[in-house]
Amino acid sequence: MSGGPAVRVSIESSCEKQVQEVALDGTETYVPPLSMSQNLAKLAQRIDFSQGSDSEEEGGEGEPRDREWGKQEQEEEEGTVKFQPSLWPWDSVRNNLRSALTEMCVLYDVLSVVKEKKYMALDSVMKDKNPFTICQTPQVFQLISKKKSLATAAQLLLKGAEKLSKSVAENQENRRQRDFNSELLRLRSQWKLRKVGDKILGDLSYRSAGSLFPHHGTFEVIKNTDIDLDKKIPEDYCPLDVQIPSDLEGSAYIKVSIQKQAPDIGDLGTASLFRRLPKPKPGTQTWHVKLEAAQNVLLCKEIFAQLSREAVQIKSQIPHIVVKNQIISQPFPGLQLSISLCHSTGERKNHRASPEKPKPDDHLYVLEHNLHQMMREFHKQQLSSVVMPHPASAPFGHKRLRLAGPLAYDKAEISSLQQNEGLLEKIIKQAKHIFLRSRSIQLQLNIGVEQIRVVHRDGRVITLSHQEQELQDFLLSQMSQHQVHAVQQLAKVMGWHVLSFSNHVGLGPVESIGNASSVTVASPNGEYAISVRNGPESGCKVLVQFPRSQTKDLPKSDAIQEAKWSHLRGPYKAVHWSRMEGRNFVYKMELLMAALTPGP
Amino acid sequence: MGVTCVCQVPVAEGKSVQQTVDILHKKLEQLGAVKQGSFCVDCETYTGNVSGQPSKLLYVMHNSETPLSCMALFEGGPCLVADANFDVLMVKLKTHFQNAKGHKVECRGSRYRYCDFLIKVGTVTMSSSARGISVEVEYCPCVVPGDCWNLMKEFMQSFLGPSVPELPSVFAAKPEGLFAPADCVDTMTQYLELFNKLRKLQIPGSNVR
Repeated sequence: MSGGPAVRVSIESSCEKQVQEVALDGTETYVPPLSMSQNLAKLAQRIDFSQGSDSEEEGGEGEPRDREWGKQEQEEEEGTVKFQPSLWPWDSVRNNLRSALTEMCVLYDVLSVVKEKKYMALDSVMKDKNPFTICQTPQVFQLISKKKSLATAAQLLLKGAEKLSKSVAENQENRRQRDFNSELLRLRSQWKLRKVGDKILGDLSYRSAGSLFPHHGTFEVIKNTDIDLDKKIPEDYCPLDVQIPSDLEGSAYIKVSIQKQAPDIGDLGTASLFRRLPKPKPGTQTWHVKLEAAQNVLLCKEIFAQLSREAVQIKSQIPHIVVKNQIISQPFPGLQLSISLCHSTGERKNHRASPEKPKPDDHLYVLEHNLHQMMREFHKQQLSSVVMPHPASAPFGHKRLRLAGPLAYDKAEISSLQQNEGLLEKIIKQAKHIFLRSRSIQLQLNIGVEQIRVVHRDGRVITLSHQEQELQDFLLSQMSQHQVHAVQQLAKVMGWHVLSFSNHVGLGPVESIGNASSVTVASPNGEYAISVRNGPESGCKVLVQFPRSQTKDLPKSDAIQEAKWSHLRGPYKAVHWSRMEGRNFVYKMELLMAALTPGP
Repeated sequence: MGVTCVCQVPVAEGKSVQQTVDILHKKLEQLGAVKQGSFCVDCETYTGNVSGQPSKLLYVMHNSETPLSCMALFEGGPCLVADANFDVLMVKLKTHFQNAKGHKVECRGSRYRYCDFLIKVGTVTMSSSARGISVEVEYCPCVVPGDCWNLMKEFMQSFLGPSVPELPSVFAAKPEGLFAPADCVDTMTQYLELFNKLRKLQIPGSNVR
């Protein structure tokens, strides 16, 4: 067919009805169309039932049995029903149904026998002989092998993950180690360290800077890497920690104050300051803050030790008193200079951090600062005296002092070489100076070639020429201003209220030099007022204002008749200042104020 | 350091050493001198033990006026001034210089200042027994003995009376004469001479030397 030419063959049903017979005259006799039942029977005949039942059984065996059963059926049929079997269209269907029934009956019987459990018993068929195992085994194998390979893969992955996490932890550990080393390096760049055995010790004393204080000032560097990895690492975690001696913990400062044993109105305007706790700068390491605080404590201790040693050694008219952590000295009669070492350890510091009411103290920061500076100066002196190279046999000390022996210096020469003034003497001198300065007008006169420069207390600079009158005028104006300032300060002390204050009054008689200054103060209950006007030329003028109730000669007014108006202050009266009692202006003013303040 | 003159003051007749010293103190105070602490001069004797050489005496002296110094004087020979470490060195040189323990001489007393003069009145003790009285007068502003000797002599007369010494031989013995500057060794030489004189003057029978 493949070799031959493609021939188109059209197939179509010839006609709708089957031709049964063609007559000689050519007429076609058609087979009458099948009725519904006839058609069904015809279609049923086509079904091969044997094929359907064979699907479960082996093809070879099915056919002969079928034929046997068929024979039996035929015999039975012949015996019972006189029918033309082949003619009956439902024959095959009936046969098949019959065989099915037989089989069902047999199955039923078997099942009922089995159910009795007397003669038969059901037993599970061996798996190996089961035909199903043959096709199932590879599936199980597959499953098992898949499972196995998956397990190995999982193990590999787990191993990898473990390694990864281990290396991450190791990395962290390394980084911490590295962090420790870098921190140590940073520490070493700022502090002296040395290795003793397996410890790292540091030195925070000022000995290398020339200090002679016997405190060893040793701190220990601690490796702080053994922290729990599971727990969260705190924010301020540092792999390096330092352990400082317990006696250097906390914070300390030297408090210097001048107290008056008896109140003295002459000294006014002593500033009262508050001690503020130093705040650590952000970004600095905790160990650095710790070490600096400890070093500060050490320096304070050294200063105090030096001061107390000198206080005991130095003989003065009024002996210096050293009590516990306080040194008391009397620079002037009635005046007490107290230097105390305030050392607060950690727990107490917390208390101090939240004071209910900060008490004003008279701490003199300048003197505290100077003490620190003088101590460092002393250190420097010590250091510069031990200049290398230094003879091994020679005693340490000043180079010139080293010559004192061989050159046979006598006592006077030696004492001139030695520092003859101690820390305490210097600080007492400074305190005296501060006290005196607070009592007086401060002016600095720079007398040059062409002119005189006056540096005022508040920093103002005034240039004066060669005319002596200028300086005189300037001093006069300063004096007049100072008196008004004094009244202002005195009012504060006496509890009077300052109503007005002016350094340069625009009213009243014009002064030939400078300006007049004035102040008005009211008594504590507000009844009286004192006005002071002080001019460089016109001098001092003091007026007192009385309440209306005390002035009888006041004309009655129609507008103010109620009693409450009598509390208004009335007219001013001048005070004969020269006739007032008192040594000086301030004493006079104090007396006047006291007289105008009603007694309790 | 000025010009000094050290001399021995004889013990007054019928008085003890201490009484004589007290009299001198009283005289100085009457003059107007002010007491300024005390002073001390000591002298240790070492015998040189260098083989092949005649043994020579070495005197190691201290003076409180020069507190950091130590003077070593060879008998009639050279001298040196050193710092206080010299004493330690002498201990190390034990094999060459032996310390004659019993020969330690000390001179202690009060120090007075009268204007430019420094007066030291001391008692010389040897092995804890007082042997004599020494007076040292120093004229501080001058270092040339020739310039101030007469002034010093006059001043000494005012409280020592007739027993004023002659010009110390150390000054005269110098090649430059009286115009060589005086120094601390001159003072120590004078003290040493005084000590040796007092030693030799000792009462016979005493076991010292």
